[in-house]
Parts: sequence; C-alpha cells; structure tokens
Amino acid sequence: MTDGDYDYLIKLLALGDSGVGKTTFLYRYTDNKFNPKFITTVGIDFREKRVVYTASNPNGATTGKTFKVHLQLWDTAGQERFRSLTTAFFRDAMGFLLMFDLTSQQSFLNVRNWMSQLQANAYCENPDIVLIGNKADLADQREVQEKQAKELADKYGIPYFETSAATGAEVDKAVLTLLDLVMKRMEQCVDKPPAEPANGNGATKLADAQPNEKKCAC
Amino acid sequence: MVQGTMPQAADMINLGFLSDSERELILEVLQRDRELRQAEEQRVRSLKTELLDVKRKGAKRGSGRYSQRSCGRCQEPLSRLTVFSSQCKICNHHVCNNCRTVVSKGSWLCTVCAKELDLKKRTGDWFYDQRVNRFSTTPGHDLVRVSLKKKPQTKKRETTGELLLRSTEINPDLPTPMPRVRQKNLITDNKGHSNENSGSIASKSEVWSKPTHGDIESAENNSISSSKTDAESGHVTPEQQRRENRSVQSSPAESTVSSLTAPVKADIVGVDGANSEVVQTAADVQLVSPTPEIDVDRLFKKSIKRSLNPPECVSTLDLRDGRDTSKASLVNRSHSVPGLDIQDDGEEDEDIDSLVSFHKKTMASSSYSLHSSRSTLGSMMSIYSEAGDFNSVEVSGDLIFSMSYDEHTQNLHVFIKECLGLAYGDTSRQLSHPYVKCYLLPDKSRQSKRKTSIKRNTVNPVYKETLKYSISRSQLFTRSMLISVWHHGRFSRNAFLGEVEIPLDTRDLDSPYEDRVALMAKSAPAVSSTAFAQYKGELVISLKYVSPKKPTTEKTKGKKSVIERGELQVLIKEAKNLMAMKPGDTSDSFVKGYLFPTKTNTTKRKTPVVKKNLNPHYDHTFVYKELALEQLEQMCLELTVWDREAMLSNEFLGGVRLSSGEGTVKIGKEEVEMDSVGEEVSLWKKMMQYPDSWAEGTLPLRSTMVKGK
Repeated sequence: MTDGDYDYLIKLLALGDSGVGKTTFLYRYTDNKFNPKFITTVGIDFREKRVVYTASNPNGATTGKTFKVHLQLWDTAGQERFRSLTTAFFRDAMGFLLMFDLTSQQSFLNVRNWMSQLQANAYCENPDIVLIGNKADLADQREVQEKQAKELADKYGIPYFETSAATGAEVDKAVLTLLDLVMKRMEQCVDKPPAEPANGNGATKLADAQPNEKKCAC
Repeated sequence: MVQGTMPQAADMINLGFLSDSERELILEVLQRDRELRQAEEQRVRSLKTELLDVKRKGAKRGSGRYSQRSCGRCQEPLSRLTVFSSQCKICNHHVCNNCRTVVSKGSWLCTVCAKELDLKKRTGDWFYDQRVNRFSTTPGHDLVRVSLKKKPQTKKRETTGELLLRSTEINPDLPTPMPRVRQKNLITDNKGHSNENSGSIASKSEVWSKPTHGDIESAENNSISSSKTDAESGHVTPEQQRRENRSVQSSPAESTVSSLTAPVKADIVGVDGANSEVVQTAADVQLVSPTPEIDVDRLFKKSIKRSLNPPECVSTLDLRDGRDTSKASLVNRSHSVPGLDIQDDGEEDEDIDSLVSFHKKTMASSSYSLHSSRSTLGSMMSIYSEAGDFNSVEVSGDLIFSMSYDEHTQNLHVFIKECLGLAYGDTSRQLSHPYVKCYLLPDKSRQSKRKTSIKRNTVNPVYKETLKYSISRSQLFTRSMLISVWHHGRFSRNAFLGEVEIPLDTRDLDSPYEDRVALMAKSAPAVSSTAFAQYKGELVISLKYVSPKKPTTEKTKGKKSVIERGELQVLIKEAKNLMAMKPGDTSDSFVKGYLFPTKTNTTKRKTPVVKKNLNPHYDHTFVYKELALEQLEQMCLELTVWDREAMLSNEFLGGVRLSSGEGTVKIGKEEVEMDSVGEEVSLWKKMMQYPDSWAEGTLPLRSTMVKGK
C-alpha cells in the first residue's frame, strides 16, 4: 500500500464527539464494511485508500486528466482525555470530516466547539471541512433535524451530508466532496502567485463518485 | 532542534496520561505512519530530481544580463516580434514556443516554472508552505520561523506523528518530547558485527603483511596497486561503471534512502535497546486481553500482529543491536582501522586525492597503473575495493542462503549458510580462504557492507552466519542484495569468486526458505549512466574572472604571443540538500576544488568544514592566479563535496565539473574529455563572457565524478 505510485498524498482527518461513528465511518469508506461494535479509538489511528481523481474544467466537462490520489484518513479519539493528543494532529491534515451523531443532540451542539478547535489548530484558519451527520439509518432515534444541521453548515459555509456507516449512504460522497475541496484549494494556492486571472481549473469531478451534482447539500 | 520547530505540537503532546498498552497502540500507528511518510519522501525526492532535469536544460537563471533576443531556456534566438509576448509570467524570461507549457486556456508558463508549480502541488508543498505561514504568526516563535523560512525544506514537512514517534522512541517513560540523542556508534553497530567475525582477523593480518593504512577495504584496494596491476584499470573501469548503472536503475531510491536510514536506525535501536521491555509487556497485555477485543483490533488495525510477533531468535554470531555491542564494535574498529591508532593528520588529503585521482584515471579509459600508495580509498568508493582480481578466477560453485525480515526489530536478516564447490582463489597454490560479503544495493557504501568470517583453506566453507540490516520494510522493495564471495589473499590480492544479486521486491521475506544459487561472474557493464540520475543536492557558487590590472602588453621574452594574466575567483557559497552521512541526519561537509590541467597539486583548494549541516554555507573563495582568459576555455574546474570523517575516510557527497564542455583536458598524462553539461557549461561560459563580474549559479551535484559514456 505504501509504495510511492501515486500523484498526490492527501491527508484528511475525522473529528467529533466520542461515539458519533468516526471509526466506523472510515472503515465503511475504506473497506466498505460495517462494524457495529463500539471500540473506542485510542488516541489516533489512520486508514488509507487509493482513489482516482479526474480533473475537469469549469463547465464540468472532464479534461481527461486523471490522478492517483493516496488518501491518508486520520481517525481521532473523541474522548476528552485524548484531546491534547488529537488536536496536535489537526495541523497535519489538509481537510476535515467534522462528524456528529444524528441521534445525539449533544454531539451536534459540540460541533461549534470542534469548529473552534479546528480554527485554532489546523494549518490555516479556514481549512476545508465537511459537516457530517452520521447514523442516518436510525431514523426513529433521530434528535437532530436536517434543517438545523444545514443551517449550521451554511453558517460556516461548508457542505453538509447525512450519512450512514451502517448502510453506506452518502459516505463516499462526503469524503470525495472534501477531497474535491482540498484539490481545488491546492490549485488555488499554487496559481495565486503568478496572479493569473481565471485559470481553467474551476470545478473538478471525481471518477470514484456517483453522478456528482454540484448542488449537493451545500 | 526537534523542539521549537513545531512548538505548538511539541508543547501540547504529553503522553503521561497514557497507559503502557495505549502508548504501544499509538506507537504502532505512528510506525505505520512513518512507513507512509518514507514512501512519500522518496516520491518527493524523485519528483525533485525530475525538476532538476528540466532545469538543467534551461540556461538562463536569476538576474543575469542576458540578451532578450534568445530563449531563456534553450537559448535559441527569438524573432523580434515574439520578444514582446514571450515573457514567462513568473520568471520573466523570454522563452520560445517550444519551451512553454500551456497551463490553461490561453495562458502559459515556461517549462521550468510550470514544472515548479506542478511540483508544488504534487509534493504537498502548497500545504506545508501555508502551514509554515500560519504558525509563524504565533507569538514567541518568530525567531524559529525566521530560520524555518530560510530552510524550510526538511522541517516544514515535519508532522506531529513524526515528532511524537521520535520523542516516544527515545524514552517511552518520559512523556514529553526530548531532542533526539545522537548516537555515533549506531551506524557502526552493524559493522561491529562483521568485524566481530572477520574484520579483526583479516585486517590484523593485513596490517602485519603490509604497512598500509586502512582496513580490509584498503587491503582490497591495495591489491590494485600490488605487483600484477599494470593492466588492471581496464577491469576496474567497467566494473565501476556497472555499479554506477546499478545505482541508477534503482534511483531515486538511493538518495532518499541513505538520508533516511540514519535516523531510522537510530530510532529502531532506541526501541530495541531501551524499549524492548515495554514492547514486550505491551505484547503481553494484548495477549492477555479478552479475545473479542483482539478480534476487533484485528479488524481495525492492520499491523496488530507486529507486536504479537515474538522476537526472532538471534544467531550465535549476531549480537543484538544495542549498547553492549557498541562498545565492542568500537574496540574492534580500532583494530581493523589502523589509522585510528596512528595520527590521522593528512589522511583526509590522501583519501581525497587518491579518490579524485582515481576518478581521473577511470575517466581515462586506457590502462594506467594505479600507484596510489598509502591510500585509503573512501568508503563510498568501496566499490573500488572490489577492484581486486575479477578475471583470473573461473567462477564456480553455489551459495546457500536464506533471507527474512524481522518485523519486530525491523531488521533484514541474511543468513549465509555455506558455499559449495568454490573456485580456488589462489590458483597457483590451489586453495581458497573464502568469505562472503553483502551490499544492500543501491547503497554500496561502507554502511551497507557486511561480511562473514573467513574460512581457511576450503572450497566448501560453512558459515551459518546472519548478517543484519536495519531497514524499514517499505524501503526494501527498491533494494537488492548483492552477495559476493571473495578469496582472502593474505599476502596477495583478494580474489573474486562469484556473486549473486537478489532483488528484494519479488522475494518473500516472511517465510525464510533456503536458496541454493549458482554463483555468477561479474556481468558486463550495462549501458551508459548519467551522473545526475540521483538527486544529491546542489552547490551554489559564483565565478569571476578578474582581468589583469595592466592590460598593456607585457614584456615577453621569446614568447610568441602576448598573454594577459588575470585570476579566477571561485566563491563557494553554499550547498543545499546534501545527503546525510552521519547519525542525527547530518553531514560535516567541505568543498574541494581542482583546476585542470594542473601540474601536481598546485590547484587544489579546500573550504573549511561546516559541521552538522545539510545546507552548509561555506562562503569561501578559491583563487587561481596567473590565468589568461583564453586559457580558461581549455580548463576544467572540478568541485567536490565531502563529508569529513575524522577517523575514517571521507565520504563523497557529490561534485560538479565546470568547463566549456568541449574538447579535452589533460589530467595527469591522459587527455580527458570535458563532460560538463547544462548549467556547468553555461556558468563557465558566462564567467568568461563577462570578466570582472560575478556569475552565480546553482549546480546540481553529480552522484559520481566518473565519466559516463
């Protein structure tokens, strides 16, 4: 897995309260499996996945350029006692999966705290983040309404997804949307210096993703 | 060093609250992360080599006074009309159509700038650059940042995982990170093993028999200059080139690897020595813990088995890496390196001179007798050490060996069992004193060399010895193991008895199986190699030709033409991204210069040594007087960078060769072609073109000064 045969190494990190399903979410994403057991993550862990990323021009048409992206997906412990350790890893990630549990109001309320943690510890003040409400399959236990969560996401200007690690719903899409954001930022960062107007690398599309409408949930 | 660079992370991480088993789990994750990181660093390095390739083709750089009428890259003339629209937006050079890369519709950049931008993305520098900026605004860290900005290359990429892993491995009981301990003896540990087996015996006898400097290596070297050597350089040259080729094939691994191995070694030994107990207990804990948990752990943690692995049995000859051996190895070293007991004054000079002259000689393809008496060739050049006798012995026989990888100690084990039916190394007396030598290619330095003991008077030697390499698993795939068998000639040359090369990428190292392979003769040299194939760093220099003060004609007695003599000033500014040769990721480097053609050593110049720095600033000027501008056209300036090794021979870090790139230059008695390329040529020409002004350039270092064909 760790040969250097890829074009980009992109490091993402999942964070959120303990028990919202970060580990299972990532496990679903990388291995497409579900593990219903709750094993609290000790400090930090990571998983890897190789995806093919297809760059496209602003009209949405692919430019045909594909890149092999190696994803390093950091998993963090949600428990308070590991906090000092986990936040130290924020600075190494290029994008963030901020997760809460749709069946736990408290975990949703804590999103704000996580946001401020991110702002303080990430590589820049406004890193790329997607907000993820997990456990969408447990409809009968739902405590957080989609509208609420969307409003919060809009406030921060970040995409929002309701996912289920159990069924796999929206899991890929959430990760790949984040990857897309990171890749775009990368282009912007690099293109800024020469101050070139309208460089043709606006939208991008993911080969791995389903028919990817740009409106999504943002 | 470690502290301060990332104060945020360092200050925050306090692992005191973790239990042993928790810490062990985290350590495991960090180990996995390290593997990924190493693969990444390797990739980044090869990308940078690519960039250098593109750059090298380019001619104009920086703020030189160039004509706008020629392309800044290929120097083809530009038509007058295009001059106005031909400027690259980043570097402002005017470039021709061929040297442009379209980055998006209607916009283009010159090839070099385009490549640089692309690299910024692919290497992740876009991210690290931003991060550096962010944390530089943190109060109190300004000073650190200043230095970071200057040379962010290595430090800026540092991750929390890396930092944490390092600090944890040094002392698992101390929760707070500590600076890495420099352990000089680590590198020599393994060497200690081999010396344990063969070194002391061999070199002692060598010392007895010949009053030369050096260890076995030089013994082997000296064999070159021993009685029968007259026509031997012929053999040496192809062999050597073959080696170079070999390293080229597997580049870019080498550069990365060798700079990485040192710290890795240190870390691993740290684990072995100090933490073995911790590791052990952690493993116990996991074994005891309830089964379901382990199952889940297995599900979630890919490498969980690592800590469950029992430490592999160690062969009798193998001492564990650790402090106990380091002492022994030091002692042994002083046995095997006679130079240790003797003054080492002047040794450095001899090393380098002989080496450089060796380069010269190998450059000259005709035969040349190698009389470098009293010389210890550098260990980087220990490839030369194999310049024993290749052709006199008809290779025969088999080697029986096995290889395995020990996850637990991160060691590659090469078990040399025995050889059968070897040839006679001493054909006249019909006997062999064989020993086996290994190199973990492409690294063919002393650090990569392992030897077995010498078995006397047998062609079926039984060794049953394990040679170990401390290396992370992910690095193995780019390597291959060169196992050669040698006859130890006590009073004569060592004779080559055969070799095999085992690529490691295809070999199953998890289940050691015994292999019986036929020994092979040295293969013919492969196709040409380029000395630039590996990224060795760069050298920043400035050249100036100072015109004679009185440009009026001198009174010449009997000379046909009037010659104006000025001087050449060579300012050695700095080197960048040198290879790390010493533990702790550093090198103590200096630059040495020669201006050819030269009579004797009058053109030799050296800078002072800059210690513990891979980006050393020398700011030292070499002055060559009494030179006419026209002479320079026919001259060749050779600058080589060396890692100063006080007790041993210096290690070659890279070099450049500046000249007009045409014609030949007389070195010694040989006419040698001036093989300068790219910037080496353009800088030299620029210097001649603009006397009395500095011509500055950044030159990629060659990985070898041997001339490729």
